[in-house]
Amino acid sequence: MPSPNASARPSFLLRQGEWALLLAILVAVVATALVDANHSYWFRPLESLRDIARNTALLGIFALGATVVIIAGGIDLSAGSMIALSGTVCATTMLALAPAEMMGFKPVGPLAVALGCGASLLVGFLVGTLHTWLITAIRLPPFIATLATLVGLRSFARAICESTTAAFTPTKSALINVSDPFFKTIRDNVSIPVAVFAVLALVTWVILTRTVLGRHIHALGGNEQAARLAGIRTDNVKWFAYCFGAMTAALAGLFYVANESVAAPVNQGRGHELNAIAAAVVGGCSLSGGVGTVPGTVLGAIFLRVVIDAVSKIIKTGADVYEGLIVGIVVVIAVTFSQLGQMAKGGRRLLPGALGLCAIPTLALLCGAIVSMTTTARAGAAAGAAAFLMLAAVRAWESRARAA
Amino acid sequence: MSAPSAPGVETAAIVMRGITKRFPGVVALEDVTLEVRRGELHAICGENGAGKSTLMKILSGVYLPDEGRLEIDGAAAHFSGTRDAERAGIAIIHQELALVEDLPVAANVFLGRERRTRLGFVDDAGMQAECRRLLESLECQVPPNARTGSLRVGDQQLVEIAKALSLDARIVVMDEPTSALTEAESARLERTIARLRQRGTTILYISHKMDEVFRLADRITVLRDGRHVRTVDRAATNPREVTGWMVGRDIAGHQFHGSRSRGPKLLEVRDLTLPWPEHPRGYRLADVSLDLHAGEILGVAGLMGAGRTELLETVFGASEPTWSGQILLDGRPVRFSHPAQACAAGIAMVTEDRKRLGLFSDLDVAANVSICSLRDVVRGGLLNRPREEALVAAPIRDTGVKTPGPHAAITGLSGGNQQKCIIGRWLLTRPRILLLDDPTRGIDVGAKAELYQLIDRLCREGLGVILTSSELPELLTLADRIVVLAEGRVTAEFPRAEATEQRIMEAATAAGSDRVHAPT
Repeated sequence: MPSPNASARPSFLLRQGEWALLLAILVAVVATALVDANHSYWFRPLESLRDIARNTALLGIFALGATVVIIAGGIDLSAGSMIALSGTVCATTMLALAPAEMMGFKPVGPLAVALGCGASLLVGFLVGTLHTWLITAIRLPPFIATLATLVGLRSFARAICESTTAAFTPTKSALINVSDPFFKTIRDNVSIPVAVFAVLALVTWVILTRTVLGRHIHALGGNEQAARLAGIRTDNVKWFAYCFGAMTAALAGLFYVANESVAAPVNQGRGHELNAIAAAVVGGCSLSGGVGTVPGTVLGAIFLRVVIDAVSKIIKTGADVYEGLIVGIVVVIAVTFSQLGQMAKGGRRLLPGALGLCAIPTLALLCGAIVSMTTTARAGAAAGAAAFLMLAAVRAWESRARAA
Repeated sequence: MSAPSAPGVETAAIVMRGITKRFPGVVALEDVTLEVRRGELHAICGENGAGKSTLMKILSGVYLPDEGRLEIDGAAAHFSGTRDAERAGIAIIHQELALVEDLPVAANVFLGRERRTRLGFVDDAGMQAECRRLLESLECQVPPNARTGSLRVGDQQLVEIAKALSLDARIVVMDEPTSALTEAESARLERTIARLRQRGTTILYISHKMDEVFRLADRITVLRDGRHVRTVDRAATNPREVTGWMVGRDIAGHQFHGSRSRGPKLLEVRDLTLPWPEHPRGYRLADVSLDLHAGEILGVAGLMGAGRTELLETVFGASEPTWSGQILLDGRPVRFSHPAQACAAGIAMVTEDRKRLGLFSDLDVAANVSICSLRDVVRGGLLNRPREEALVAAPIRDTGVKTPGPHAAITGLSGGNQQKCIIGRWLLTRPRILLLDDPTRGIDVGAKAELYQLIDRLCREGLGVILTSSELPELLTLADRIVVLAEGRVTAEFPRAEATEQRIMEAATAAGSDRVHAPT
């Protein structure tokens, strides 16, 4: 968002919203440390840190890609399927090069590993090129183009997996085990994905803030027609953005394979594209383009993982069930906060008319249901009732303020 | 055809008294008083920016006036939205039609007032039958269930009129209705107008086509610079006089031209034709020829839609690459398919709609100025911010931008300063040809004078400038020669000494309906 103060210099390193995000992360960590009955943050801090760091790095790598695409004014919905395709391409390449070793859970050799990883990144480049072609030459909206590849690439990955396993192993299979020591090392050393994420974040930050290309990405996302009329080759800038998006997802896909010691195109990375977009949005990216920062996205990714981890620590069981719910709530709250100033200024009402009346029980029910499922039914009922009364009070206050 | 209705002592249909409307930085209307008699056809004439459309938007409830009163049929009216105006029996047919293209015709006619069956479902059959009846009364053969977007512009306009009829509008406002019509469609529209008048409908007709105005109107009101000039009976005046009132004002400011020295020929355009397949005219530009020398300012005059922007965009490589003809730069034919090529060849273009086509509102002042010349501030592959600020300091100083500093948000600057930033952006590319598309639109008078001096100075430094403007005095102040476009064709070219506002206006309106046919 443009600074409201015309003469303000951009503050060093972090912007206002990013400091707030950093504070929110600290609050979430401290709250978890206090509330968690096992106090695992106190007693096993390294283990907790390692968990969060690994998950953040895996999410963050392709969230950086999503950030570049979003700043360039586009959207890439296909990252989750790209992750699956990347893992599959890597595993099938290695399987084709060294079928006996792959089946025997033996090392396949550095050449096969390098070719497998290289093939994955190449496929990322090809998918990015396909996206750009669909968007600039066929003139599909980015949402449609990447929606098509979101559904298409996963099924493509499954087909590749099945036909390759049919060709090189006795039976066709929907997944390929990967047990080369290279991947095992990555799995066992959380510092590797974290280091890769850190380097990638630094590179992305330099590209976006210190290069002509980065300036053109901001210009393209901010005003595409003006960018073209300023002589910027907007199609080439888009090409970079979508390739960067797809290749970061491909890189993340390799880490997922390492982490799970298997390439499983059926469900690897499923739905992750939305987490990446959420991290970018929580970090301050605007989906209308032109606005966003790398530190913001990094903090956004950390915040998402910290909150998810907090809930899993506090609730103990089945945290993955709640992951989507948490991401949803965090996105709504983060974006709402960034708009609170505008809402107050514009005199916009939170609960207007009949819609507001229906929203009150909806929100109260949602609140009560979440609390009752995570704690007790009685607490849930109380929370629901409290939410209802609070919202009703807001509504009454707004109506009076309007009448007055 | 249109017998003037007897001006009786009855109450007027519309009285607008002392209407003033200000926009940030501009007074669009100042103390305008207008009285429209019941049942008459009242023409409103004026140049682009005279305030015609603003006045009509106030009448139809789009804008609220800052000052002044509005009376409909003798009763004071306060419109806080178009719905209020509709309820008072006022329908407006906008220059840019306001139809939902993906809906069928009947749905558009009844949009927001859909009829329902007894069960509460949408009564499509009933609406279509009623719509068919309305359209037939307008000689329109379009099926009511056709997709509105598939209709020709003339038919879409009749759909808007059908909507007005279904509202039982007693007052219909038509904002330049024939600007996109063929001759036959215009004739049909005139028959429709005659029919509306038989029903006693009061019509406000905005146009600057003198032949139409004098064929249709009972009375004529002329607006200029947001002020009411005069209202006269059609019989008591003639087109030449009205055109004179439209443009007649003192040309304030300096005369720059004259002492500039003309250099070698830079640019030559030969028989440039740009097709426009989806339009009945068939072309945006037809057989346009002109040339530009170093050290001169070539003015391009024309009404809205005459093809000024399209001409500059084609030269700049920004239009669809479907044009035919020749563009010669230094005598060599060029065909740019992207603005980047035009930039590299030394052409710069300051676009018409600053906000939509020029500014990057998320970037600061320095980044907005440097965007076309970032190569000059790269060191070791990276942008060097101190060098960038040093680079933009010169154009910011030379063009006289008033800004708190290079870090300031571009959106915090006034329109004039934003425009200077964009001119500064292009000066950094060291162009030889500068295309300025209506560069002073929406800029206050003081900033305009500064821009004039800047443009004159650049020209003296050897730049060739093509300048379009919706304001004739601006062209007369700056240009050495003036080419007049009307509906995509060059209708006149004047050297400075022979150009007058009157002659330009006549050439710009010359095409009229008789030139609309003959699509290529």
